[in-house]
Parts: sequence; structure tokens; C-alpha cells
Amino acid sequence: MDRALARRLEARFGTALHGPARQRHDQTEIRIGAGDVQDTLRALHDEPDLAFTILADLAGVDTGTEMQVVYHLWSATTTDWLRVIAEGLSRDDPRVPSVTFLWPGAEWMERETYDMFGITFEGNRDLRRIYMPPDYTSFPLRKDFYLPDDAARSPGAGVRHVERTHSPVDAAPGVLRQTKA
Amino acid sequence: MTALARTWDQLTLPGKALLILIPLLAVLTTGLLVTILLFGQQILDILIDNLPIVRFVFAASVLLLLAPLIAFVIIYMEMKIIALMNLRIGPDRVGPWGSLLSTVHGLKVLMKEDFTPTRADPVVFTWAPVVVFSTMALSALVIPFAPGLFAQDFHLGVLYFFAIGGMTVVGLLMGGWASFNKYSLLGGIRSAAQIISYEIPLTLSVVGLVMLAGTMSLNTIVLQQSGSGWFTDWYAFRQPLGFLIFAIAATAEANRTPFDLTEADSEIVAGFATEYSGMRFGFFFFAEYIGVFIVSALTVVLFLGGWTAPFPFPHISWEVNPGTLGIGLLLLVMIVPVLGTLLFALPFYLFRSQTRWWVALILGFVLFNVVVGGLFGLWAYINFDWVAGLFWFLAKTFGLVFLFVWMRGTLPRVRIDQLMGFAWKWLLPAALLNLFVTALAIMVIDQP
Amino acid sequence: MATVTPPRTGDAPPRTFPKGTHPSEDDPNVLLEDDYAFYEPIPPYPPRTEREAEFYTLGDGEMFLNMGPQHPSTHGVLRVVLKLDGERVVDIDPVLGYLHRGVEKLVENADYHQTISQVDPLEYISSLFCEWAPVEAYERLLDVEVPRRAEYIRVLSGELNRIASHSLFLGWFALDLGGLTPILWSFIERDEIVEMLAALTGQRMLFNYFRIGGVNGDLNHEFMSRLGDWMSRAVVQIEAGEGLLNENEIFTRRASGLGVVDQATALRLCMTGANLRATGIPFDLRRAHPYSIYPELDFDIPTRTEGDSLARYLLRMEEIKQSLRIIDQCLEKMPDGPIMAKLPRLIRPRPGRAWAAVEGPRGIYGAYAISDGTDQPFRLKIHDPSFIHLQAVGALLPGNLLADTMAIMASLDPVMGGVDK
Repeated sequence: MDRALARRLEARFGTALHGPARQRHDQTEIRIGAGDVQDTLRALHDEPDLAFTILADLAGVDTGTEMQVVYHLWSATTTDWLRVIAEGLSRDDPRVPSVTFLWPGAEWMERETYDMFGITFEGNRDLRRIYMPPDYTSFPLRKDFYLPDDAARSPGAGVRHVERTHSPVDAAPGVLRQTKA
Repeated sequence: MTALARTWDQLTLPGKALLILIPLLAVLTTGLLVTILLFGQQILDILIDNLPIVRFVFAASVLLLLAPLIAFVIIYMEMKIIALMNLRIGPDRVGPWGSLLSTVHGLKVLMKEDFTPTRADPVVFTWAPVVVFSTMALSALVIPFAPGLFAQDFHLGVLYFFAIGGMTVVGLLMGGWASFNKYSLLGGIRSAAQIISYEIPLTLSVVGLVMLAGTMSLNTIVLQQSGSGWFTDWYAFRQPLGFLIFAIAATAEANRTPFDLTEADSEIVAGFATEYSGMRFGFFFFAEYIGVFIVSALTVVLFLGGWTAPFPFPHISWEVNPGTLGIGLLLLVMIVPVLGTLLFALPFYLFRSQTRWWVALILGFVLFNVVVGGLFGLWAYINFDWVAGLFWFLAKTFGLVFLFVWMRGTLPRVRIDQLMGFAWKWLLPAALLNLFVTALAIMVIDQP
Repeated sequence: MATVTPPRTGDAPPRTFPKGTHPSEDDPNVLLEDDYAFYEPIPPYPPRTEREAEFYTLGDGEMFLNMGPQHPSTHGVLRVVLKLDGERVVDIDPVLGYLHRGVEKLVENADYHQTISQVDPLEYISSLFCEWAPVEAYERLLDVEVPRRAEYIRVLSGELNRIASHSLFLGWFALDLGGLTPILWSFIERDEIVEMLAALTGQRMLFNYFRIGGVNGDLNHEFMSRLGDWMSRAVVQIEAGEGLLNENEIFTRRASGLGVVDQATALRLCMTGANLRATGIPFDLRRAHPYSIYPELDFDIPTRTEGDSLARYLLRMEEIKQSLRIIDQCLEKMPDGPIMAKLPRLIRPRPGRAWAAVEGPRGIYGAYAISDGTDQPFRLKIHDPSFIHLQAVGALLPGNLLADTMAIMASLDPVMGGVDK
């Protein structure tokens, strides 16, 4: 746990953070809003005393109430992993600026997040589906993804037994799982 | 009529085949007998007048019949040897040590569905395997297998061989283009580029040898290497650089690893043969392995002495004249096989408790046949020079085939630009150097 | 081409085009004749993104070649659409998803323990690392300390799995370059190692061995005897395989200078693992961010500077030797003790988030776990290195020949199970 890192981050980013930097085990976590993503990550990447040059992961999260995009970064200047959570994305039209200008390798990770959640990354030149077929209409990892509905919309729509069991009209949708994470 | 149709329907497939074949054969046989009886003498006269043509036709037919057999042997060799190099077992089930595998492959290939892809050019698509196979088979006509055992002794034998062998390119391009498949197209064009590039070092490396030999006839070249009977007479020692270049270029001509990009199955599925199945693919397959044999045969003929033995044998003769035995011959033929079978069967029966008596007899009979066959072969080797020549020729050729197979099991393949670079920047200047040095040497050494 | 804004829900274009209505009919650059459009691997709908439009527009003399999901040497089911100029590759468009199993969604409906068998088949060649990262993430959620013996066993089996994975890499790489023999020798090597691991874990391939708080079974006699046998001849076998290739002129000329990556490009493409170390950056999680008991072990991080395929290959061979060192030390220093921490039957962590990453044979293998207080994970995101490296292929390939496509892909060592999750 690198306390100095938390202090440095709070000193550098101050108001952009939604609350103090939280730490647990060997991870430091900061929360920012969607609009600050590009500036924050560029600062984290370029500034020599931060030097978070390695993007280890780019994940999307659907907390039930909102959407988040989570970046995990590594730097040689600290012993902690840094987790940057861009939170507050609406569940109806989640949009986040893309980080492909810093890491072109994030292009596919953003494609995957779009495919699974529907989060639009503005500035990504290639934001199309990566796992699901191009004419697929749902976003699977969202918490409101209801499999029989999706099956009914598939090319085999309603033909197979499993696709006919529940019809969208009289099915009770699952309770939306939520977390404060 | 319907009774006949019902009977036909009740037959199985082999039954139907036999029902058609047997009357047909009977008719043909009687027709043949009648023709021979009536016109036999005239036919014989015509044949005797045109003996060279008869001889050629006979030799060509024998070659065409033996080509699949040789291909079978080489296919099995390749599978088994590469498997052993890979520390696995390879073909194991279909005959002793899997040796009948090639036959099974041949049957399988005959039984597969033979289709033409939708947008393929049907005429070109059908004729491509024919062209490839026939050029390979035709080029075997000039190779001397033994003293007196050659189909035709052209005095331009070397030139003929390279000319016909170069026509394989046409067949490969046909196959690659007509398949309506980009993989095939890439394979066909790669193969055309490769074969054409390597033709030039191939022919140039032989020109030095032709200058030394003074003739292009393959039979004469082999005869010239049989001077003292020792292997140092072989042209490989008089033209070492030419031999090396020829060996490398021949590997490329035969599309063998490391130059097997045309059928590189980790990149372009099966190259020009991607869309072929059934017997058409069988033709390509055969053509490749016949090509390996023919290219090895040519190397042996040109550089390794052809059918000459590596060391001179003392002249012994083993005359066997069974006629002098008289009635003893009849007794011999009746008694010796029985005695031999019993003799060879006895150790199995006595010392191996699980062999039944009839199994031991069968084994004894087989062993007796093997021993008698071996003795007969030895007698033929000593008495007939063509047997000896054939033996050495085949031994050397299959030794080179083994070398090809060994390379396939060991080496990775080169890339097309490295292949072309190698041919044009290294082999071609080396061949030219060889040519100039040979010419210089001839001029200097033959100065009176 | 104008930028196409992706629509809110998935695109739903028509599946077939009646004759004469394909949108590229008017474009002189795309196709030769209208009938042949059916056979080209061009998607039957208008391009959705800028990059798709750029890719599916043919220049002068270019053609598309589809290396489809069935191909003798894509590493699993991968479809790559290549844009070729003769034999030279101009651009590629990999199409993924043929092996997508929806592991992240399945895991949300399973217990924490069940997720271990769900994540095994992600990078099936190196399953133990696929289990290791989520298990470490859960342990951080639960604040559980793993007993030292379990950590040593984890490192021991993990390093064995690394050797198995690298020897398979050697085989594939040689096979894609045309050599038929090294892959079979690699499988002999790998066979011995998986038999060993089967004696330890019960399974040859998808091990399901790590547990939250430890491992499933202790070292047993059969495993130790097989391990001892194998260690005595491991180096010889590996060097036999190397000896066939390292000195081979054809192999070195094919592989050197192929797919060169420099340091800045590698970092920007988010490459990790041996691919990054081959460019000169000595980044290995076992030393850069030590986890488990790696701080107590003595091993080197091999690094090379050329950044080409030959460097990656030689680097992985050296890593095998370092793994053998680690295994030796683990065996010497193995402590006694329990192999599982004391945990309740039903795992119910406090709400929170945890990230853990291990150094797999291919790179950083990471897991981000979010817990909402119930006994099912709320979200498990797996970061897979093969996914990133396959993207890097698209950056490295243009300008090379067709024959190098497979060679570069093989040298970056992707496993489609991990790419497609």
C-alpha cells in the first residue's frame, strides 16, 4: 500500500477526483468522471513522476444503477497498481472518450466493452462488435440482459424449444442486481 | 423383361460387376484368339518389321504400369521414415509394418467424390492433373535403368528431359488458375515462379557435364562412368560443384522441402491442389512422388554412375544347367520344396510353443520361398548384367529418395522471396562459374 | 469515407442482397464483376466504422484473401481477412468470436468456487495461470492469507505449466515455418508434463486445481517420482528440440527480422510478457510487482533487444531454463504445513473490488473481481494477453509476405481460447 501515491494523486488531480483515493492491499483507486478521462490518463501517462505507461486492463462495469469504465495501470515509480474508475455513465447512452490516442492497443479492449455493454468510446476508429455477430442486437453483459428475449430475437427466433419457453410479454424479468461498487 | 429387371435389382454391386465383366471378357478373349489364329502370321511380320516401335511401346507400358508401384513405395517410405524421425510409429495396421498403406490410399482416392467447383473452368480443371502426371511420366522414358533397359536412347536425352520436365509448370498453372480459388492461384503462381527460376541453374549445372561427356545421351553418359568400375569414375567427383547445384535445384524442381511452398499446408492449405479431390488429387499426389523418383534417378544417372556398381566385381559365372540332371530334375522339384518347408518350419514348431503346426508350416513355406528367391536373385545378379545394373540403380535412387524424405522431416521451408533470391543470386552465378571453369579445364587439359 | 457513428443497439443489416443491390456495385475499386461479389469476404452491409470502410476498399491490384475459421494453422478458430497485393500483405482484419463462450456472464451466475472451473478453458494451454489470477483476486476480496506450502505448490505447478506452454509454442512456431518434427517432439515433452500434472491435479489439461485460499490436493508420491524422472532429462530433451532449429540457416533466416517491434510501439500496443521482453524492456510481473513467493526465489529475467520473431523464440527457450531453476528451488525450499486456508464453505466476501495479475506464459493475465456481498461474483473481468497480441499482429503484418502471416502470429503465441473468452 503506497500512501505516498495516494497523496500525490490527490495533490495532482484534486477536484477531478470524486472523493479520496482509496487503497486496499496493493491497489490504489481513483474515481473520475467520464469527461476527465482523456486529461487524467494523459497526465498519468506522460508526467515523469507518475509514468503509468503500461495499461494492463480496460474493463466495463454495469453496477445496476450506472455504468463504469475501469482502467488498470502500472508504473515503475510505485509498488501499487492504479485503478482509474470513470463512473457516472448513464445506462441509457453511456459515452466515454477513447484512450486509443495514448495506447492504440486499447482499441480492441474498447471494442469488447462496447460489444458487451454498449458503451460508446468516442474517438475509437473501429468501434464495432468483436465477439458477437455484426447483426446482434443485445449487449450481453448488461444487468438487464434477459436471455429468452435475446433468444427470441436470434435467427432461430422461437423455433427451438428453449427459445419458446418464455415469451417476452408474460415473462417476469429478473431482478436487476445492483451494487455500490 | 421385368423378371430380368428384378433379377438385376437383386444382385449386389460385385454381382452386377461380374455379370457384365465375365461375358465381356469371354467375348474379348475369343475375339483375340480368333484374330491370332487367322492373322497371327501377318501381325508377327508387321511387328518384326517395326521392332524399335514395338520395343518402345512395350517399355513405355511397363514404365506406366510400374510408376504407381514406385509411387506407392515412396509414399509409404515417406510416411514411415518421417514418423520414425518424429519419434512416432507411423503406418502400422494395414500390412506388415503398415506397408500396404499406399494401396489403401490409392483405393480411398478412387472412391472419393470427384467434383468440380462451381465456378471452376471445367476443361482446364480436368486436364491439369493429366498434364502434370503425363509430363512426369514421359520424362522417365530416357532414363537408363540398367544396361539395355531404357525406353529410348535419344541422343538429346538430357535436353529432352529438361524440356518435358519444364512442362509441368503448365499443368500446375492450369490447376491453380482453373480452381477459382485464391489459395490455388497463389500456389500455382508460386510454383510457376519457383520451377522456372530453378530450371536455369539446373540446366546450366549439367552443361559442364555434357561438355565433359561430349554427348547428351543418358545411356552414353552412364557408360562413360563405368570405366574402371570404381566409384571415383562417377561424374560427381569430376563436377562436384555441378553436382551440388544440381541436387539443390532438383529439390526445388520436385517441389520438396525446403522448397515446398507450392503446397505449404500451413499457409495456403494445399496450394494449387486445394480444390481437387478423389482421383484428380491422386494424380497430383502421384505426380509429386514420381517426380521425386525421377529427379533422384536423373541425379544418379548423371552424377552417381547410373547402374554401375561402386566397386568392380570379380568376374564369376554361375552356370546352372538343369537339363543335365534328367529325371533327377523331376525328383528335385518334388522333394526339395517339401524338405525345405519342413526344415524351416521345424525350429518354429519346436522352440515356440504357441505356434500351431499349420502356422509353422506356412511360416516354413514362406521362409523357404524367401531363401530360394534370394538364391535365384543372386544367380540372376551374377549371370545377367541387367539384373546387377537394375539393383544398383534402384539402390542409389532410393538412397537419394531417402535423402529427400529426410530433408522433409527435418528442415523448415523457405519463403518465396528467399527462394527466388537464392536461385538467381547464388545458384545461377555458381552454375556459370562451374561452366567456365570446366570449359577452361577442357581447353587447357586437351591442348595437344 | 465519412465517420459512421455506431448506433445505440447492435447493427441489423439485411442478411442477403438481391442481385444488383449490393452497395459496392457502384464503387469501381471494390470488385471485379458483380457476380464474383458473392465469393469475396466482404461483409454484406455498409461499413459501420471508419476503419472498416478503409479496410474493405480495394486499392489498385489488391485482393482479399480469407483465412477462414477452418485453416490448417490459425491457432484455433480465427478468421483473418487479408488484403494482399500479390504476395505482400497490405492490411488485415481479424474476425473473432468463433470460440466466445461468455465466461464472464456465466461466472456471474455461479458461486465463487465454480468460477475456477469456468475460467480454466480460457487459455487452455496454461490453465493454471487462468485459475491463479481470479483466485488471487478473490483472496484479496476476502483478505485471506494463503499458507506458504500452498504458495510453493502453486509456483511449482505454475512453472511446470509454463514449460509445457513454451514447448508447445516451439512446436507451433516450427510447424508454421514448415518443420514437421519439432512439434511432435514438443508434444512428447508436453505429454510428460501433463501426465505429471494429472498425477497432481487429476486432470491432464483443464486442471481445476487452485482453490480460494490454497490448492486442492497435496503433492503425492506419483507426482514427485514423475517430476524427479523428468527433471533429470528435461534439459537434454529441450536442447534436442532447440538443436534442430537454432543452428538451422533456413529457420534463422526466416525468423530473424520478422515482425520487429520496438519498445515504444510495444508499450503503446499494451504488449506484455515475452513479446515485450524481446524488445528490451525487462518487465516481468514476477519481479516488477512480486506476488506469491517469488521474492524468495532466485531467477533471472531473460531479455533481448532485437524484437523480432527469432528473439521471441530464443527468449522463451531461455525462460524454460529459468523455470527449471525455479522448480529446483521450490523443491528444495518446500515448507510443511496446510495447503488450504481456513475458509467457510460458502464464500461471501464484503462488497468491494480487487484486481490481481500474474505473469502467464504469454503475458499479464489479470482478473478484476467485484463483489456485492452475495455468494456470486458481481463481475469478473479477465484480461487476456493473447487478445492484445492478436491486435498487435495487425500492426506488425503489413508489408510482409503471406508466408509470414502465420509465422508472425505464431511467434506472438496467441491462444484463441483466451482471445475469445
